Formats: sequence, C-alpha cells, structure tokens
Amino acid sequence: MKPATPPPLLEVKDLSIAFRTRAGLLQVTRGISFAVAPGERIGLVGESGCGKTVSGLALMRLLPAESARVTGQILLQGRELLGLPEKAMRSVRGREIAMIFQEPMSALDPVFTVGEQIAEAYRAHFPGHAQRARERALELLDQVGIPLPAQRYHEYPHQLSGGMRQRVMIAMALICEPKILIADEPTTALDVTVQAQITLLLRELSERTGTALIFITHDLGVVAETCTRMLTMYAGEVVEDAPVDEVLLSPRHPYTSGLLRSLPRFARRREPLVSIRGRVPSPDAMPAGCRFQPRCDHAVAPCGGEQLLRTTGQPQRMVRCCESLRLDLPGVPLP
Amino acid sequence: MSSAVVDADPILQVKDLQIHFPSRAAGSSVKAVNGVSFDVHRGETLGVIGESGSGKTTLGRALVSLIQPSAGAILQDRVDPATLSAKALRSHRRDYQIVFQDPNAALDPRMRVLDSVMEPLRIAGGMDRRAMEQAALDALARVGLSPEHARRYPHQFSGGQKQRIVIARALTLRPKMLVCDEVVAALDVSIRGEILNLFAQLQREFSLSCVFITHDLSVVSHISDRIAVMYLGCLMELGAAEVVGERPLHPYTRALLSAEPVPLPSHMRRTTRIVLEGEVPSPVDPPSGCPFRTRCAHAVPHCAAERPRWREVRPSHWIACHRVDADGEFTN
Repeated sequence: MKPATPPPLLEVKDLSIAFRTRAGLLQVTRGISFAVAPGERIGLVGESGCGKTVSGLALMRLLPAESARVTGQILLQGRELLGLPEKAMRSVRGREIAMIFQEPMSALDPVFTVGEQIAEAYRAHFPGHAQRARERALELLDQVGIPLPAQRYHEYPHQLSGGMRQRVMIAMALICEPKILIADEPTTALDVTVQAQITLLLRELSERTGTALIFITHDLGVVAETCTRMLTMYAGEVVEDAPVDEVLLSPRHPYTSGLLRSLPRFARRREPLVSIRGRVPSPDAMPAGCRFQPRCDHAVAPCGGEQLLRTTGQPQRMVRCCESLRLDLPGVPLP
Repeated sequence: MSSAVVDADPILQVKDLQIHFPSRAAGSSVKAVNGVSFDVHRGETLGVIGESGSGKTTLGRALVSLIQPSAGAILQDRVDPATLSAKALRSHRRDYQIVFQDPNAALDPRMRVLDSVMEPLRIAGGMDRRAMEQAALDALARVGLSPEHARRYPHQFSGGQKQRIVIARALTLRPKMLVCDEVVAALDVSIRGEILNLFAQLQREFSLSCVFITHDLSVVSHISDRIAVMYLGCLMELGAAEVVGERPLHPYTRALLSAEPVPLPSHMRRTTRIVLEGEVPSPVDPPSGCPFRTRCAHAVPHCAAERPRWREVRPSHWIACHRVDADGEFTN
C-alpha cells in the first residue's frame, strides 16, 4: 500500500451477489472490490440495474439469505461481516454501519413521532438509556438542521416536508455515530434546492465527525460536489475507481467517459447529445470478457478475454479495461 | 406584448390562467396555477421549469384541455377550447397532444404496441384499418422501431423504447403542439440523450411547437428556445434559453441555477452557491405578495404587501420581481 493511504476502515473483496430464481442463480454483481478509508466519501455511480443498490444492501447484510447468495468478503476494520451470526450483525448494523434510503416516507413509521423513531435507534444499541436516547435525538435533530428540535421531536412524519423527513432519516442513521454511512439515492426524490441542502449537510457531517460516506447515486453532479472518490459500476461490476476530480477530467474507462459526455449540461444548445449506443445487457445474457464491449467504440479482440480491475500506474486509480493505457478518453467537456 | 418582437400569431396564448382545486378543508382551495400569462410561438420549444408543487404539471394538462381553467383563458390557435361543444372539442384537441413521464402507465399492457399506437386514429375515425396500420407503422419507424416491434407487447421493451412508443402514438394525429411532461425524468443518462435528440429531430420534421416541462435545468436549457420558470403556481421569469439559463435576473432562478450540482472538479466549480432555506410553501395558503418572498434573501416589506407585476424588463425577457432591475441589480 502507498504510505499516504490510511489503513482501510472497510474492505470489500470480490463481493458477488446472485439471486435465486426459478430459472436458477442469477448473478447480479461480480467481483466487487474496494476499500474505504475513515472519513472518505465514495460515490457509487451507475445506471439503473448496475447493482449499486444491492451492493449497498449487501454491505448492511440486508439481503434475505433465502433469495440472495452473497459471496466474497466484507471486512470492517478487519472483522469479516459476511460470516457473522445475525445476532452479532445486529450490533454492527446501525451502530457501525448505517444506511439511509431514497424515499424517507416509506422508511419512517407513520404512527410514531420522529423523535421516538430517532431515539429508538439509540435505545436498540444502548438499552436502558432512554433518557440519554432522548437527549441524543434532540441533539441530532439540531445537528441535521431541523429548526425547533424540541417541538419537532413530537411531530409525526406526515407533518414534515420531504426534505425534513430526509433530515430525520440522517439523524436516525447518525445517532449511534456509525463509522460508515451508506446513502442510497438520498436526494433523488427531492427538489434541486432541497437536494443542495442535504448534500451539503452530508458533506459537513462527514467532515466534522469523520464518518465515511458511501453515496449511491446516478447523478454525477451530486458525486462531484459531495464525494472524494468515484466508483463507476456497469452491469454488476466496478469498472473504474478513481479520485473524483481526476476521473471527471480524464476517465480511463470508455463507459465512464460515455456517461460523462452524455450529460446535457455540456452539450451545445440544440446540438445532438452524445449517447451510448445499445443497451445494458440483461443479467442472464452477459457477454464474455468485457461486459461493455458490445457498446464500446474502442473494442478490440483482447476485450473478449477476462477483464480485471487493475492499477493504472496513477496512484489510487483502478480500471477494468485492457485497452485503457492505449486510450486517451475525453471527460466532461470544459465550459 | 409591447416589445419589438411581437408574435402576431402564436400557436398558444395563455391569459391570466388560474387553476384551483377544492381542498378538503372547507372554503379553501389549492391554487395550483395562480395567474399565469405567456404565449407559445409556432415551431418553438418552450421549456417550463419548476420544483415539485410549482404547478407545472397542472399547467401542462390545462394546455391540452385535460383540466378546465378556473379563471383566465387558454387560446389554442386563437380558439378557446372551453367554448367548444364536446363534439367540436374532440376534433379540435387532436392538434394538442401530451406525453407523460411514465411510459409504463401510459401503455396498456394487454395491447400490442401497434394497437396502442393506432388507437388515437381509431378514435379520430375516418380511416380504414389498413391506412391506420400504415400510419402507425410510419410513426413507429420515425422513432426508430420496426414493424416487428409493432407486434410485441409493452413489457418486451425497455424504458427508453416504451417512451419512443408513446411519442410515436402522440405523433400519429400529426398534432400542431406537443406538451412533454418530464418525458426523460425516468430514463437513465445514456438513453436520455437519445430521446432528447429524437425530440429535436421530430420537432424539425413536423414543425411542432413544444412545451417541455421538467425539473431538470440541464435538460431544459439544452432543448428549449425559451425558458419559463414557475414557482408556487406563478411565473417568475421567462426569456430566451441562453439568457434565463446563463444570466437570469430573478432571485429564484438564480438560486435554482446555483443549486444545480455541477459535475466539474472542485477547483473549477463556482464557489458562490445560493443555498435556499426551507422548502416551497403550501399552495393552499401561499404567501401574500410575492410567492417566493419567504425564501428570498432580497425580500423587503414591500414584497409581502403587493404581488409583483409580470413585466417585460428587456425585450422578450419577463420577470415578476419588485426588486430586480433590467441589469440584475437590486433596487428600492
């Protein structure tokens, strides 16, 4: 390892997820490996169906064992989570790794006040500390920028706006001071002016408390503004892993480059937008070798062989493309 | 309009449009659209941008006579559809079509694509089956789908393809105007470009007038000739896309622009960001005066007392703000 890199907080090694279906096992992600350092903010990006949400759920061990087969390793400070008995996992979930979801209304219980729900997360991990739980809940409501915490504590989810509900979810996730927060599209359902508030809040909280963030999103702008590193996923694999500021300007994988260039923001008005030809292959019909190869403008014969996530020669940059070193790929067009 | 650029013959004229829905609480109503006036020129794309609850979807539906105005009027090619008989309206409204956000909800899962695309022609009547089929196949070909696709059912298509089918269906009647309500919001980035390109191409081919409703600023500024900004049922600003999208005057448009996350490295981003506090107030009980004043950093007491007039500060550039002048400076 490079001396500058702090020891990883979380190490994901060769994580593969398959769903059990009537037609047999359906592989949805394959060989996902990455590491998260304390305080790091990672953007996990990709289009719908690329496996970013299931990967987040797998890290939390929230995929039901009857329907999903998860293999590989998830090491939290060296401790393997996949083999952990459910009872032991419960003390990790919410305490060391927490998660927030896209739609706060369906994640909140409509019959309990938001204060009770935030405090419950604390009581579950520190039983017998009801008074402290209440105090912490009030502190958290304040920290996530909810005005009049003492009054809001006693309100029900339906009394809050969408942005306020997402703040409540963040408060609930952070009350036990987890080391890692997984946020799955936390701003997608929100308006852009409210999204700006929430991403700012997540970044500030992560900077202040040192909580590492895994931000799952399809929005490259949100990643650029919130994260330090970006993992691009395509068809169930991580195809590129790089510092955000570098990957935006000089992507090393043709898919990342295609995504960046298809953003309408950078196209000249009224001129055709760049799009990536073809479609994402379905999980039961993955091409051999590089999974992006059928849509790639740079595909050559070796692309049919197995592709590994390799180092690029540049620090902290990995790419799953055998041609990468020979390509000079465009990133976001500069204004 | 009082400027040099006067459109004597707009395809659509919206005059002080109000759409209020009864609310559960007695005597109150949801003011979804609260006094909006603008024109849509022939062959142009007007982008309407707004956050949730701004009334943009209600406005879009009203433009194609799916919702009746509570007050004010919408003139489609100088005809007020509210004055037409049911029979006359049926043939008149063929020229004003709408495409919705979710193609899954817009296609009947039990109808073959060909039948779905033919349905508007069948309802319009006056064509035999063979001619209708041919028209439907032509429309599908226009959006890049083959006759073989036409025999399939909606579940056999991806989201982007379904949206193409819905667009083909809206075009079978050769409308004069098309309202697009969040048509790319549900699509992935890589497909979004494809659909937007298709729109641009069809619009040229059919010399369509388009109203493109979206919450996505980058989409709207790419595709539109002019942009209208809505907030809480009112228009805040309207002008040429490059002006509103790059040098807006209204404090709300400025905040909206600056809130958009920019996919650029940190050292290349604008450093000043206007983060608005709070959220959009309820349209049941909108603030007095300027609807934006509760979140506006520039609000003064006058903003609460009187609703700003909808005025043309520069030729073809309209805003509703007491405080901003034509150079974007704050006065009074």
